[in-house]
Amino acid sequence: MASRAVTARSPSGTAALWRSTTRFARTWPYLLPALFFFVGWQLFPIVRTAWISFTSFSFLLDDSPESASWVWFDNYVDAVQDPLVREGLLKAAIFTAIFLPGMIFLPMVIAVLVDRVANQRLAATYRVILLVPAMIPGPLIFLLWGWMYSNGIGPINYVLVDVLGVYDLANQPTWLGSGNLTFLSLAMMEWWWGLGFHTMFYLAGLSTIPKELYESARVDGASEWRIFWKITFARLRPILLVLVVLRFGTAYALIDEYILTGGFDRSKPTYTWTVYMWDTAFQVGDQNRGYAAAVGWLGTLGMLVVVLWLFYAFRNRD
Amino acid sequence: MTDDRVEFEDFLDEEVAPGLTRGELIKRGAGAGAAIWGVSTLFGAGAAFAGTQARALTPTFYQWIYGLYPDIPSKINKDYAKKVKLDAKIAPVQGFGIDRFVAEAKKKKSTWDVYVGMTPFVEMGSLIDSGTIEPWDPYISKSVVNDLIPSIRAEATYQGKIWSFPFLLDIIIQAWNGELVEKAGLDPDRAPKTWDALIANAKKVVSSGAAPYGAVFDAHGWRSLAPIAHTFNTNVYRPDGLFDFTHPAVVQALEVMKQLMEVAPKNILEEGKVDGGVNTTPDEEAFAGRQAAYYIKYQNAPTRFAGTWPDPSVLHIAGLPKKPGGAGGTVFWNTGAALFKYGQNKKQAADYMSFLTHDVRIWQHALGKDVRGASGQLSPYKSDWAKWKKSPPDWMADWAFTVQNELRTSKAIRTHSFGLTQFVLGKPAWEAYLKGDEKNPKRALAKAQAIVLAEVKKQRKK
Repeated sequence: MASRAVTARSPSGTAALWRSTTRFARTWPYLLPALFFFVGWQLFPIVRTAWISFTSFSFLLDDSPESASWVWFDNYVDAVQDPLVREGLLKAAIFTAIFLPGMIFLPMVIAVLVDRVANQRLAATYRVILLVPAMIPGPLIFLLWGWMYSNGIGPINYVLVDVLGVYDLANQPTWLGSGNLTFLSLAMMEWWWGLGFHTMFYLAGLSTIPKELYESARVDGASEWRIFWKITFARLRPILLVLVVLRFGTAYALIDEYILTGGFDRSKPTYTWTVYMWDTAFQVGDQNRGYAAAVGWLGTLGMLVVVLWLFYAFRNRD
Repeated sequence: MTDDRVEFEDFLDEEVAPGLTRGELIKRGAGAGAAIWGVSTLFGAGAAFAGTQARALTPTFYQWIYGLYPDIPSKINKDYAKKVKLDAKIAPVQGFGIDRFVAEAKKKKSTWDVYVGMTPFVEMGSLIDSGTIEPWDPYISKSVVNDLIPSIRAEATYQGKIWSFPFLLDIIIQAWNGELVEKAGLDPDRAPKTWDALIANAKKVVSSGAAPYGAVFDAHGWRSLAPIAHTFNTNVYRPDGLFDFTHPAVVQALEVMKQLMEVAPKNILEEGKVDGGVNTTPDEEAFAGRQAAYYIKYQNAPTRFAGTWPDPSVLHIAGLPKKPGGAGGTVFWNTGAALFKYGQNKKQAADYMSFLTHDVRIWQHALGKDVRGASGQLSPYKSDWAKWKKSPPDWMADWAFTVQNELRTSKAIRTHSFGLTQFVLGKPAWEAYLKGDEKNPKRALAKAQAIVLAEVKKQRKK
């Protein structure tokens, strides 16, 4: 292999500046594609919707947000006073409170159990089975569970009414129509759907815990429960933080499932702040997108506060 | 030079091209990128130039129309294309969305010439307000206009001009499963004439064990509350065009719905599974699954579902029950075509729509005797019905005349940008009465009215 002699120079200020400048100039073209997508598809929409939220832009009446009036914080003031926004934020919080514990702890328990399976082939089989729901596209999941929960033709109520006789036609559960059951029904669907994906997260985390820790703990006489809390749970904190933050975000900002199960009925528990935002922006009346953007930002800022608190709560205490 | 850079340049020199350096690689890459950009710009300019040339007539269809009428793309459009260049497309709409059309109109352009799939009380108001469409009057022939059934022409007219080229007509009717009705000991060929009779029959179906449910209806207001109100009085609209929820006829309609709830599935008020809750509703499941005897909905629904039964001929259809002395009307709507303001080929578009709507293959498919595949919509033309009544075609189902007769006393929901939304907004309020949370129907409906008016005011605040 031919080689070129490495020329050693004593760096002067100008030479160092020149070198870093030329290095930057040679590097940035490779960053351009990623920068393009980040700016165009992430940064620009964020800034643009923030800007629109300060205007009175209505899609059907105004040519563009630029032609609409600048209203400063009027949209935000209206949103804070809007009972639909307050109720929508509360509904989303209720669903998140129901959904999050199951989404965090169920996969953790499953992962701990799968991790203890000695037979590698069996463990791999369990992993594959767990991942099957994760492979199914979202719309199919919603159709599948919509059928499962159906009063008239769904298998769950068929078993409960026709097979077990626990309910009759008059008092059978209305899984997606009742205020009390709707969120639980949606949460169960989401737990099932995400079980495999989150279990893999935990399995990856469990694989980093040295087995010697468990052996030492057992030798010292620690109970399995204590071992779980002091070693397994403690060591999984970084994974927990990632999952809690991610899942909090998706739960609190959920929209597809709400629209598919509850439509745009404002009395339903599924008419959360995200559905109201979408409804306002794309359906109702003149499609007041300035106001809808403000509703979206209000919810987002609330979520940011919670996420910052989560980072604080899960901080490294070592 | 760093070791990494040396190694990289050695790699370029030996494995890629002799003498190639890192700097040279970057220069060549930048050059290639600029060339690609330049060529694509030229292509773009070329395409733009091509776009200014006269284009083929470009109608765009709401997907469900192609689905229900496969003859349109496979035969009818091909026949029309023999004399005029035609480039029909599927519209990029979901639900009742019109965003793409409005967005293009703001730029004073339109990819398409005509949109086939507009329902006056749903999208027409918004399309007019946003300046996206224009009236058909300068382009549609007088003979076509004069041949429209008067109530359909009135529906398509707004502020004195025709904004919708009528095509596929839906009417809210009653249908029933004759097999279940007969099993309950009732005459399957006899339509209940009054709401009391229908409810009594439905209760008999349940008490006899013929079916779990006596009757079902679609809980969306434009498919139940409004048409049932029309059977009492068709003048249930405010001067501003909105539905008058507080009209006595609407109160009566809500009370009928309350009685129907007693013989309907528990989840009858739930939203549907698709199209934002508008379709695949619980009533459809129950009637298709032969779990309910009587059905209140537009005629296309029971004909579709009966097509899945072992014996579709047990389906019966009739006009809605009436109150003695009442208007005896119902609601209808016509899904027609809108003419894009910034489209081209406008005269041709009117000619195409006339061709499409007069093609007998459409009506043979819609009104055929075999409900399997019969899409169920009705022709908007007086001459068609006059011809068919004079000499009924072999292919035509008997119920077609029964349903068409309902047009005499029926009215469409008024065109308004809140035409459909008002029922979505008010639904939770009147459903409180249906669920028993509110004891007084007038109070429930007054609340519905207040909610709608508040939302309209909020939208118009600016």
